[in-house]
Amino acid sequence: MFYNTKSTAKGIAALLLLSATFSACDKHDHGTEGELITTIQVHLTGPGLDKTFLWNDEDGDGGSVPAIDTIVLPPLTGSITCELSVFDRSKDPDENITEEIEAESADHLFTYTINGADFSITYADQDANGKNFGLKTLWVSDQPSTGSLNIKLFHEPSDKGNLNSPGGDEDFNVVFPVVIR
Amino acid sequence: MRHLFCWSALLLLPGTVVAQDCHLSLRGHVYEAGINTPLAYATVSIKGIGKGAIADENGYFAITDLCENTLYTVEVSHVECAHYTRELKLTENTQIDFLLEHDKVLNEVLIRERAIAPPPTQAAVTVDKNDLENGRGLNLGETLKKLPGVSLLQTGATIAKPVIQGLHSNRIAIVNNNVVLEGQQWGSEHAPEVDPFTADRIQVIKGAAGIRYGVGAMGGAVVMTPAPLRKTAGANGWLSLGGFSNGLGGVAAGSADWRPGATKGPAFRLQGTLKRSGNLRAPNYWLGNTGAAEGNLFAMSTWARARQHHELSASYFNLKLGVMRAAHVGSLEQLTAAINAAVPANNDSVFRWAIQRPYQQVQHSTLKYNGIFHWNEKWKLNTQYSLQYNHRLEYDVVRKTGAAATRPQVSFDLWTNTLDAAIEHEPIRHWQGSTGIQGVYQYNTVGRGGFIPDYTGLSGALWWSERWRRYPNPWEVEFGARYDYRWNHATTDGSLRNLDTVVYFGGLSATLGLIYHLSEQFSLTAHSSTAFRPPHVNELFARGVHFAAGTYEEGFSGLQPERGWNNNLNLLYQHGQTYAALTLYYNRIQDYIYLNPGKEQVLTIRGPFPAYYYRQADATLRGVDASLNLPLHKNWILETRASILRAGRRAKDEVGNAYEDWLPLISPDRFQYGLRYLLPKYKGQESKGYVNVYASTVARQIRIPAEGLLKAAPAAFTLFNLDAGYKVQIGKFPLEIGINLQNLGNTAYRNYLNFFRLFADEPGFNAGLRMKLLLGKTGNN
Repeated sequence: MFYNTKSTAKGIAALLLLSATFSACDKHDHGTEGELITTIQVHLTGPGLDKTFLWNDEDGDGGSVPAIDTIVLPPLTGSITCELSVFDRSKDPDENITEEIEAESADHLFTYTINGADFSITYADQDANGKNFGLKTLWVSDQPSTGSLNIKLFHEPSDKGNLNSPGGDEDFNVVFPVVIR
Repeated sequence: MRHLFCWSALLLLPGTVVAQDCHLSLRGHVYEAGINTPLAYATVSIKGIGKGAIADENGYFAITDLCENTLYTVEVSHVECAHYTRELKLTENTQIDFLLEHDKVLNEVLIRERAIAPPPTQAAVTVDKNDLENGRGLNLGETLKKLPGVSLLQTGATIAKPVIQGLHSNRIAIVNNNVVLEGQQWGSEHAPEVDPFTADRIQVIKGAAGIRYGVGAMGGAVVMTPAPLRKTAGANGWLSLGGFSNGLGGVAAGSADWRPGATKGPAFRLQGTLKRSGNLRAPNYWLGNTGAAEGNLFAMSTWARARQHHELSASYFNLKLGVMRAAHVGSLEQLTAAINAAVPANNDSVFRWAIQRPYQQVQHSTLKYNGIFHWNEKWKLNTQYSLQYNHRLEYDVVRKTGAAATRPQVSFDLWTNTLDAAIEHEPIRHWQGSTGIQGVYQYNTVGRGGFIPDYTGLSGALWWSERWRRYPNPWEVEFGARYDYRWNHATTDGSLRNLDTVVYFGGLSATLGLIYHLSEQFSLTAHSSTAFRPPHVNELFARGVHFAAGTYEEGFSGLQPERGWNNNLNLLYQHGQTYAALTLYYNRIQDYIYLNPGKEQVLTIRGPFPAYYYRQADATLRGVDASLNLPLHKNWILETRASILRAGRRAKDEVGNAYEDWLPLISPDRFQYGLRYLLPKYKGQESKGYVNVYASTVARQIRIPAEGLLKAAPAAFTLFNLDAGYKVQIGKFPLEIGINLQNLGNTAYRNYLNFFRLFADEPGFNAGLRMKLLLGKTGNN
């Protein structure tokens, strides 16, 4: 009755083999470009000052709690230069995303919101179109105090003049504790 | 288990010692060949014993109390047709449809014998033929949502997945051409990868259907079946064109069937669909980036020999789908702003064809071989192998330019191999059934940035189901049992961390169904089943921020399988154009897996997000689905439908007192009511057309979980719609024309079951026009 069973079985075997071959492709080379920002570095330089502070979440969203440094500033100090760096440390080696952001400065805006601590921040750079950018800023500290600093990176903001609500997408939104002492 | 086998052996033992059975029946219809219209008052008689019947208006006849293994001569006659006689030996209740052909010569007679596929004992609804045709060009969900008990879980206007009596995704199965669809079903924004054009029949089975379709069908199944291939030599096909005003969408589909030779040779079908649409419009603004482009192919061939039937089919589904730009947010702050915006923020309110980031590109390929081998008239072996490849790319809004900006952010690849073997038997002592085994091998890779980990899966199942029917005994009984085992190895998660975790679960499902026929028209069905569902990989290991929902979600590797207890009671009355169906269901799921809100927010680099964790608690879903079609006057029919569902889970308050909390995302009460007008029939032919005006009212959902919603549940709304169809003859070829007007009042509304209700209104008025040209005669007689 099953005069064709043999060839059928062969066909099934061939299909199974085919699928096994496809499945054997390299697991992680998906040609994807999934960007993950894990680390924000604040580098402060000024009179007698050269320090870096990190907001670091190497395992991405969830999992272990992010490690957040407290930014410590000396009181009554002018002309502190702050340079930000942005990394993806989930990759090996680390990927420095800063240069990309800098290359497309017109499409990016960093904003800084101070809460409680007694210091001020002004932009020390401009984007390719001469508008606000904020990778480099100038900080001036006043009396000893504590508070926090909220740094955001906006992508394709619609209004770079409106620092409270520039539009576009938020690429990161982190808060550092700040102590002036 | 040993007892079970003994029992089965007893049941299946051929009853040679039992005296001759004289309670068999011969039933069927008499049709006129070619146009398939019933031949009323045809006479079916059995020569020599004085038994016979006259067919009723529907061509239906039934002759009871015939003896087994006795040679009868059946004579079928009608005034306008030739007599037809056939010798017949019955071994069981038999259904035969006679096709009489009366041409000028009056001498050609054809016969067709049809195996009786017993209807499921669960509540089941089939999409009305007119609704199926009128939904062509829309997605599967739009076609299904008119059915009582079926609602849609949506992510914007373009992504919809069916919800059956409150259950969806991992808990219902989509079965396309006898293959259970294996895509990334767990995701709410992952619509089923099927082309409704390939289906000639869409049936929704409500309630556990796991014996037949596996652990993924504990809540029900959507079963799509293609039209059978030609049974006679020749070729035929159809061509369908459609256009939609909202989004300026267009769809073209065509199908060609060919059978070069006689019944035993090969037969072929080739079918394709092309679809394109641009931005949709809500009554007050355009919905930026809601265009879609789709292209599908389907090929099928069968080869029949004396005792074998082979089928080989292949399908390819390819969809590029824009995701509304206004729904794209990066942080909770932005989400709050978007929710509170009166008019969608970040929305490009213009018409555009272009599909920009964010968008999805989804491909699904299926290869299937099915072979049926008959040992004898009673027993056959049904084997099937299917290979599915689901390839899903998600393109997010990115900062990068150049080559990197063309790449997707997440990529899913899912390979599924399924091997089925079943032994099926025709009725033996009125028991008809089958038993089989199933093996599945799955391989899933996600890579970087994925919400779920890479995994491999192996599962196996052993099942058995039997059905007892003995016409005209009013009772029918069905039982089934299935054992499922699933093994999963999660390897690497989305951050490329090594999980290397193995989980395995085994469990039993069982079902018992009873049908009592009060009369030919009126039946009562009771169905009880217990279902087993192991936790899915996403429920065990998911981790990440779900931006559309503004939540952080985390799986729990300690989850246990769900155990469902599903009961439904179904009353069905069908007489002429009167149709009434009432389904009452009570579905209890122990250890129901759901997302439970955490006490603290999770801090991410994009700010804090409310955290939800997969947890388990006993849940209950109970409800009523009702339909009533009532002929009012001549060709006017009143059509009404209602779906009401209450779903809750056991919860504990702060001090540890147990109470019942509502389940989230449960459809509010829904009602549909309208009038259908059928054009008068001429000379006993089918009605040439119809107009259907109907309204649907959806209440406001007030039963929401205690943790509340990000935005209040939307208000109740009523939409008015109009469908119409008409058949004309263009030369030799019949042409079907259809009109489909949705949201006639251009009402602005939002839907509780749509995630994007947070951001924008649903689309407004949409006028659809479609045409289907039938080429050549279908050769199914």
